[in-house]
Amino acid sequence: MIQEIALGLLTSGVAVGGASRLIVDIAMYFGLFVIVAMALNFQYGNAGIPNMGCAVQVIIGGFTVSAITTRLILTLVGNAGVELLPWTSDYDWVYNNPSNVAIVNTWLSGEPLFGISMLLFTLAVSLVLGAIIGWIIALPAIRLRATYLMIVLITMADASQIFGRNIVWISGGTLGLFIPDIFKWYPGDRTIVMAIITLLIGLISFFIFRTMLNSPYGRLMRAIRENEVTVGSVGKNVVGIRRNILMFASGITAISGSLLAFYFSYVVEANYQRALWTYWPWLMLILGGPGNNAGTFLGCALVIAVRRVIIVEKWFLQEVFFFPVAYFEQILLGVLLIAVIMFRPNGLIPEKLLYIPGVNYRKLVDEEAIVDWRGAPKARGVSSGISGIFRTLGGKKEEAGD
Amino acid sequence: MLIPAIWMASLVYASELTLLSIGFTLTYLTAKIPNFAHGTYAGIGIYVSYTFSKIWGLSPYLGFPIAFILGGIISVIIYVLVIGVLQRLGGGAIVLTISTLAIQIFLTAGIQIYAFWLRAKFGTYALLFLLKDFDFRIAGFPGIFVVSMILTVVCVVILHYMLTRTKIGIAMRSTAEDPELASVLGININSIQLFSWFLTGGMACLAGAMIPLWFMSTPTTGAMIITSIMAGSLLGGFENVYGAVIGGIVVGISEIMLTTWGQALLGAWVGEYRPLIPMFFLVAVLLIEPRGLQGAWERMVASDTGQSILKSIGLLKEEPVT
Repeated sequence: MIQEIALGLLTSGVAVGGASRLIVDIAMYFGLFVIVAMALNFQYGNAGIPNMGCAVQVIIGGFTVSAITTRLILTLVGNAGVELLPWTSDYDWVYNNPSNVAIVNTWLSGEPLFGISMLLFTLAVSLVLGAIIGWIIALPAIRLRATYLMIVLITMADASQIFGRNIVWISGGTLGLFIPDIFKWYPGDRTIVMAIITLLIGLISFFIFRTMLNSPYGRLMRAIRENEVTVGSVGKNVVGIRRNILMFASGITAISGSLLAFYFSYVVEANYQRALWTYWPWLMLILGGPGNNAGTFLGCALVIAVRRVIIVEKWFLQEVFFFPVAYFEQILLGVLLIAVIMFRPNGLIPEKLLYIPGVNYRKLVDEEAIVDWRGAPKARGVSSGISGIFRTLGGKKEEAGD
Repeated sequence: MLIPAIWMASLVYASELTLLSIGFTLTYLTAKIPNFAHGTYAGIGIYVSYTFSKIWGLSPYLGFPIAFILGGIISVIIYVLVIGVLQRLGGGAIVLTISTLAIQIFLTAGIQIYAFWLRAKFGTYALLFLLKDFDFRIAGFPGIFVVSMILTVVCVVILHYMLTRTKIGIAMRSTAEDPELASVLGININSIQLFSWFLTGGMACLAGAMIPLWFMSTPTTGAMIITSIMAGSLLGGFENVYGAVIGGIVVGISEIMLTTWGQALLGAWVGEYRPLIPMFFLVAVLLIEPRGLQGAWERMVASDTGQSILKSIGLLKEEPVT
């Protein structure tokens, strides 16, 4: 099976099929969803921002590919002297799209550098646009209660789909839009390359997130999650930090939308439904354990494997049910979400203690905090209060220890 | 008397939305969470009407009491099995809200499956339908126009009477205000919660049962209407039942009237953007005054110019105690 995938990767004109195809598919979707779920873990698990608008950020990535990259490629290819059908008006944009993409693809087959630079350009643009959309969707409710933010973000996801469906120049409306194949120059199976690139980007973003979470900024995020009033009282700009986190995670999430568009070579708003890109990542996050990247990986792998197998094998399942299997999937999603919240609120892998370089945090927590107050300057009436608090804290710890 | 059909449509929609917004607000008051499954109760009501009219050949109005009881029972089951358990386990507001989203997904899928089951069993197309044929006429008006408004007014009046005059209503208000203090005073919080969940579910399902008599309905209508419900409830201030009445009416009427006027002025494409109107209300309210009409009212009462304006309109009679 591995040889088959490797063969498809290397040899020309061979598309992998069967079980190997399923593995490539699962790998691709694992890569995509792990990016979204890790960004969600960054926001909800570590900073306590309940981002229910992942679908908006993912759809922005898709729209970047269809509205910006495709336009840029068509312009550049037209300037390079290739005869293209007219594509400037809305009608031509959709109607001539398949022929134009076919013409561009033949030209792209000899231009590896152009394809790769287009991929990098798209990733950069979707990162920036995702951050901008993160700022915009945060605008109404980032200062308010978390539930208000959830309400606004959920409705925003529907709004983005409505825009995509009705504004033709973004992604071709309901018909969708074909995307030039930037890996046309590559002889082997393009989807395997996309899967590998996606997994690589997932790995890179994992290291970025890990570094950020283990930095002082990560500790600040967790402090905001635990008690924002305390953090605000020591002079930190809680709203600003939250907005930064949301913007950064939005940018990363948008990248996965672009990668999905390149994987399918096709963009349509129906691919970016709210249920798929918001609720499933939430299930992965909660199943694996919020605040914990290893848990996110585990939850993502489990959910994606089950879901892709259901989708790929649905013709066999369909004989059992009288209704479309898609609804069985939804019921599974709902039941799993509630069951995990009820029976394993910390997920499969609970959150670990912080890792701070040079500090043995566990020792600090486990040890009795011994503070010598004799050297401290005396303040009337306050010192007894503070020592009283420490006494009660110590007493509580002893109880907990027993 | 001739009322344009579009005004009738917006009044019907506004009265349905008012019932739903009141229920949403009551849930928010008692459980402190936005219940995303609230719109889906309406979806259940839609299929109660469908079953009564298309399958059993009865008048859909006979299904209204059944819809009320069924919605209440489903709501109570949800409270007992999920929300109450999570509250006792100490889940925060975010976890509870996610659980209501999960319930919404589950219930919507259940409605879809029921629609497919109807198709398999009875051979009717239950995925997109309108029950206007089963309506009757009162004095030249479509029955649902009169019935929906009367039902909404009756519900609001009964609710107002209950919340201000009866013992259980006062117990509900005190539970919403401070559950621990209420339990100290001998109020059984659990039964009050059960009662309020029954009431909200029942009212939502009743409102849903009225929807297919005027509007095109699909299994996902209930899930889609939640944005309008939240907009109406948020406009009213999220924590005020009377605000929800005003909010539901305003959002309901403006959703249909603005779409119609926009279509007349700008062209048919405006109709596609109808879901953006409640979204606009949500964002505008959150940006201008996050506590909605209630917050605006409190702000006006607190300021001198606001007080003089309110007195000149006649809304504020006596000097408020400061």
